[in-house]
Amino acid sequence: MTAVSVQQPLGVASSKGWWARKANRRLVVRYIVATIVTIIFLFPVYWLFIMAFKTPEEVFASPPVWLPSDFSLDGFVELFRDGDVNTVMNSLITAGTSTVFAMFFGTIAAYSLARFKTGGDNLAIWIISQRMIPPITIVFPLFLMYALLGWIDSFHGLILLYTAFNLPYVIWMMRGYIEDIPIELEHSALVDGWTRWQVLWRVVFPMARAGLFATAVFTFIFAWNDFIFALILSRTEVTTFPVQMTRFFGHQQTFWGKIGAMSVIGTLPIFFAVAAMQRFIVRGISMGAVKG
Amino acid sequence: MPLARSLIGLGATVALALGSSAASAQSAAERAVEAAKQYAGTTLNVTWEAGLQAQDPLLFSGPKWEELTGIKINVVEIPIQELFTKTLAEHRAGTGAFDLLNVVPAWIPDLAEAGALEPLDAFIDQHGYRDELQDIAPVYRDNQMAYQDTVYGLPDDGDVLILYYRKDLFADENHRAAFSDRFGYDLAPPETWQQFLEISQYFTESEELGPDFFGSAQIRVPGLIHFFFEERFRTNGGRFFDQETMRAQINSDAGVQALAGMIEEHQFMPPGVEAWGPIETLSAWLSGNLAMMGWWPPPGRWSDGFFDADVLSFVPTSEVAGKVGYALPPGGAPQLAAGFSLAVSSDSANKEAAYLFAQWLNSKEISIERVQLPYALRDPFRTSHFQNEDYQNAWGNANEYLDTLQKGAETGLLDLSIRSTAAYEEALTRAITAAFGGEDPQAALDQAAAEWDRLTDRIGVDVQKRAYSDWAAKPNAYPN
Amino acid sequence: MKATTSIADTSFGYRVSVFADRRFKYLLVWPAVLILLLVAIFPLINLLIVSFQDISIIGENKTFQGGLNYGRLFEDARLWQSIWHTLAFTAVALPAELILGLLLALLFVDRMPGRGIFVALLIIPTVISPIVAGAMWRLMLDTQFGPVNQILGWIVGGPVDITWTVDRAFVWPAIFITEVWQWTPFMFLLLLAALSNVDKSQIEAAQIDGASGLRIFFKIVLPAIKPVLAIVLLIRGLDLFRLFDIVWALTKGGPGTTTETISLYAFVLGFQQFETSYTAAIAFVVIVLLSIIVILALRRVELAR
Repeated sequence: MTAVSVQQPLGVASSKGWWARKANRRLVVRYIVATIVTIIFLFPVYWLFIMAFKTPEEVFASPPVWLPSDFSLDGFVELFRDGDVNTVMNSLITAGTSTVFAMFFGTIAAYSLARFKTGGDNLAIWIISQRMIPPITIVFPLFLMYALLGWIDSFHGLILLYTAFNLPYVIWMMRGYIEDIPIELEHSALVDGWTRWQVLWRVVFPMARAGLFATAVFTFIFAWNDFIFALILSRTEVTTFPVQMTRFFGHQQTFWGKIGAMSVIGTLPIFFAVAAMQRFIVRGISMGAVKG
Repeated sequence: MPLARSLIGLGATVALALGSSAASAQSAAERAVEAAKQYAGTTLNVTWEAGLQAQDPLLFSGPKWEELTGIKINVVEIPIQELFTKTLAEHRAGTGAFDLLNVVPAWIPDLAEAGALEPLDAFIDQHGYRDELQDIAPVYRDNQMAYQDTVYGLPDDGDVLILYYRKDLFADENHRAAFSDRFGYDLAPPETWQQFLEISQYFTESEELGPDFFGSAQIRVPGLIHFFFEERFRTNGGRFFDQETMRAQINSDAGVQALAGMIEEHQFMPPGVEAWGPIETLSAWLSGNLAMMGWWPPPGRWSDGFFDADVLSFVPTSEVAGKVGYALPPGGAPQLAAGFSLAVSSDSANKEAAYLFAQWLNSKEISIERVQLPYALRDPFRTSHFQNEDYQNAWGNANEYLDTLQKGAETGLLDLSIRSTAAYEEALTRAITAAFGGEDPQAALDQAAAEWDRLTDRIGVDVQKRAYSDWAAKPNAYPN
Repeated sequence: MKATTSIADTSFGYRVSVFADRRFKYLLVWPAVLILLLVAIFPLINLLIVSFQDISIIGENKTFQGGLNYGRLFEDARLWQSIWHTLAFTAVALPAELILGLLLALLFVDRMPGRGIFVALLIIPTVISPIVAGAMWRLMLDTQFGPVNQILGWIVGGPVDITWTVDRAFVWPAIFITEVWQWTPFMFLLLLAALSNVDKSQIEAAQIDGASGLRIFFKIVLPAIKPVLAIVLLIRGLDLFRLFDIVWALTKGGPGTTTETISLYAFVLGFQQFETSYTAAIAFVVIVLLSIIVILALRRVELAR
C-alpha cells in the first residue's frame, strides 16, 4: 500500500545521510520485495529453460538437479537443424499481424463506444459475448467454414481469426482506458479545427498510450499462445509455435531438451519487446487535466 | 456411383492383365514401385504421428520413394492425441487433404463406419499383396486389418507391452537364495500378478540395492493406463460385455481384482508412480533403478544402445546394457496397446498411389529396414522381422528380444475396438484414476460400468452388439 | 487515412454535442463488427443448427431432433459438475490474481531504476505456451523429480512426497498455483497501466492534507482505476471460464472427474468422442449462462459507477 506515493527525486544527498531519508529506505524495501517476487515468478521459467541444457538423466533425477552439469547448446542446434525454429517465425507473423489489426480496428471501435456510446450497451455486450464462446466448441464449425473458403493452413486465415478473437478484448480494454482520458482536450482540438481523424491520431492515441501498449502486449500473447485453433486450422504450412511444442510430447517420447530450448527462443522476442515498450506503459498521463 | 465403381473395377482388371506376367517375377515392393511410376510428379499427403514416428517418412522412406517413383511425400505431422480428431474432422469436412493415413487399429471400426477409410481388398489383389500379408505376425494380421470382413488397414507397427526385467539381478545367487527363502519359490520372471507383487516387494525392500531402487514401475497416466487394465482384466478371465445383453462387465470380480491389484503394487513402486507416464518409467529403467518394467518394444533396443542418440536425444544413457531380460507380462497375454495401421483415405484423389506407397512401406523388404531404423519407433511386426539375422545379432541378446516380441505377437490381446471406443476408454480411465485418487475400486468400476451401459443404450444395443461381436470373434480378443 | 477524413468534417460537430457525428461514429465501429461477424456468424449459426440435429461418431443424422440434445443436458450430472468446478475455481482464482496483480502493480507504479527489466521479466510466465506451462508445472510438482516437494521438504525438515496431480486433496491447489502463476502478470501489467494514468496531483494534494496511504488508495486510486479494473476482471473471468490447457496438462480432469472444467468436458465430448450435436448444445448453455452472469455483473458495475 505504501507504494502509492508522490515521486521523489532519487539519490539526492541530504544532510541526514542517504539511509535516513524515508523515500530511500522505501526504495530499498521495494527493491527487495521486487526481487523476491520476481525470483518466485521466474523460478518455474528457469526450471523450464534449464531443460534445454539438462541431459535426459538430469530431467528425471531424484533429488532434482538445479544446475545442469553442462551448458552445451546442442538442444538449440537441434532446433535449427530440424527446422523447428521456423514455427517461431510463423507465430511471430500470425500473432504480430493480427495484433496490429486488432489494435487498430479495436481501438477506433472502442473510441466510438466510449465517446459516442455507439449502439448503447447492447453493442458492447454483443462484442464481449464473442469471448464467451468456449473455443473448443467453435473449432469444428470454423474448420468447416475455412474448408469451404479454402483458408485452412493459410496465414490470412489464422490472422483473421486471431484478429476477431482479440477484438472483444481490445475494444473493452481500450474503452476503459479511453473513458479515463479527459474529454476536454478533444473538445478544444475540434474547436481548433482538427479533423476527427487528427484528433484520434494526435490526441486520443497518444493519451491512451499506456493502455494501448499494455493491451497490445496481451493481444499478442493471446494470439501467440493459441493452440486449439492453430492445431485444427493448420496442416503443414502454418505450423505455429504452440502446435510445434505439442509435437514434442508423444506416447513414447517427450523431448524436454527441445521443449526447454524452444521456450527460450520463443520467449526472448516477447521479453525484449515488452522491455522496450514498458516505458510507454508506465509513463501515463501527466497533463494535470481535471477528470470529467 | 455403380458406374464409377465398375470403371475402377475394369481398370483394375486391365492393370492386372498387363502386370501379371511381370508380377510373378517381382517382389511386392517392386510391383508397387512399378505401378506407382505412372503417378510420378504427384504429391501424397501422409499423416503420421508427430515426432520420432515421423522421422521414418521424413528421413528414410519418403525420400527413397520419391527417388524410385517420382511421387513426392508430404508428411503431415500430428500429435498422437489429436490424430484421430484431425483424421475424422478432415473427412467430415470432405477436404481430401490426406491421402494415406496412419491409424491406430482400434479406431478402424469408427473410421470405417464413418466412411473415412477406403476398402483395400481390390488394391491388394490387383497388386498381388495377399501372399506377403501372410508374413505379418498372426496377431496383427488376423486382428488389425479388417472390420466386418473388409480390409481397411495394413498393420505396420508391432506394438505390444512386454515385461523387461533385470537379468543380472534375477540371476544373482544372493538374491535368488534370499527370495526363495522368503517367498518359497524360485526368483524368475513373474507369471502371475501375485508373483509380480512379491518380486517387486522383494527388490524394493532389498537393502543391498539401496533406497532409490524399486522392484517395478508401470505407466499410469490417463490415455495409456486403460491398456494395462484391459490386459489384466482379461487375463483374470474378465469379459467386457455380456455377449447377449451387451451389459458391461468391467465391474466383475476380474475387474475389481485387476484394479485393486494395480493399486496394491504402488507401495512397491517409486513414490509418485501414479503420475508416471512412459518417459518417467523409461528413465527410471534406463538409469538402472528398476528390477522390472512394462513398456512397448523400444526400450529393448534402447537399453542396449541400439539407436541413434542424436535423434533420440530424450533417451537417457543406458546403465543397463547387457543386463536386460525380456518376458511376457504376468498372465502371458500382453496388451497390444495402440500400434499403427496404414490406411487410405476415402477422400483422397490419389487412392491408388497412396495404396501403393502403403504396400511398398509395408512390404517385407522395406519394412525390415524401417523397423531397424535407429531413430524410428516402428517395431517388428512380421515373422520375417523376428527371424531377420541382422536384427537377431544387433546386440548380445537381441535374439531373445525378438523371440519375446514374436511370442507376444501370438498371444497378444487386442485393444478393445468397438463403436465409439474412445468414449468407453475414457469412462474406464476415469474409474481407474478415481481409484488411484482414493476411491474404492468396486465403486469406481460400478460407476464406469453404468456409464458403459448408458453409452451402449445411446449408441444402440444392436449396433454396438454387431461391432462387439465382430471384435470378440477375433482370435486374440480374449486369452485362449 | 487522409482520404476518409473529409467524411468526418468538424463542421458538423460541436454545437449540439461535440460528438454527434453519426457517420463518423459508425465508421469507427464497422470494421470491427464486420470482422467479428465474418468469423463468428457462420460458426454460431452452424452450432445452432447442429445442436438440433443428431450428429455423433455413430452417424450424422441431420434431421430436426427437437430438444433432444437440450433435454440430455439436464440429466447430465457430469456437465453441471464441470460447470460448478469452473465457476468455483473462477471465484477463487480471480480474486487471488486480482489482489496479487494489484499489489505487484502498486509495487512498481512509482519510478525506480531498472523497473523496465522487472516488468518485462514478470510478463514471461504469460508467454510460456499454456500446454507447456502445464507440462512443466507437472514436472515441477512431480513427487520425486520436482523441486516443489524438495523445497517443501526443506521447510518441514523431512521428506515430502505429495502426489500433486493424483491426490484428490492436492489437484486443485496444483491447478491454482499454475494458473495464478501464469496469469497474475496479466492483471499486473494492465493494472500498472491504469495506475500510471491516475492523476498524480490529486494524490499529492491528499498527501499534503495528511491522508494515509491506505486512505489515498481507497479514496483516490481505486475509484480512478475502477473502470479498467472492472474490465480486467471481466476479461480474466471469461478466460478463466475457458480454463483448459493447464488442467489438461496437469490432471486431464482427474482423478475421476475431480478437476473437470466445462472446457475440458467439451473437449472430451466434442474433440475425442465427436459428440458434435451435444457439444453444440453445451456451447449454447455456456453462452447463455455467461451472458446472464456478465450482464448482471455489468449492471452492478454500471450502477456503482
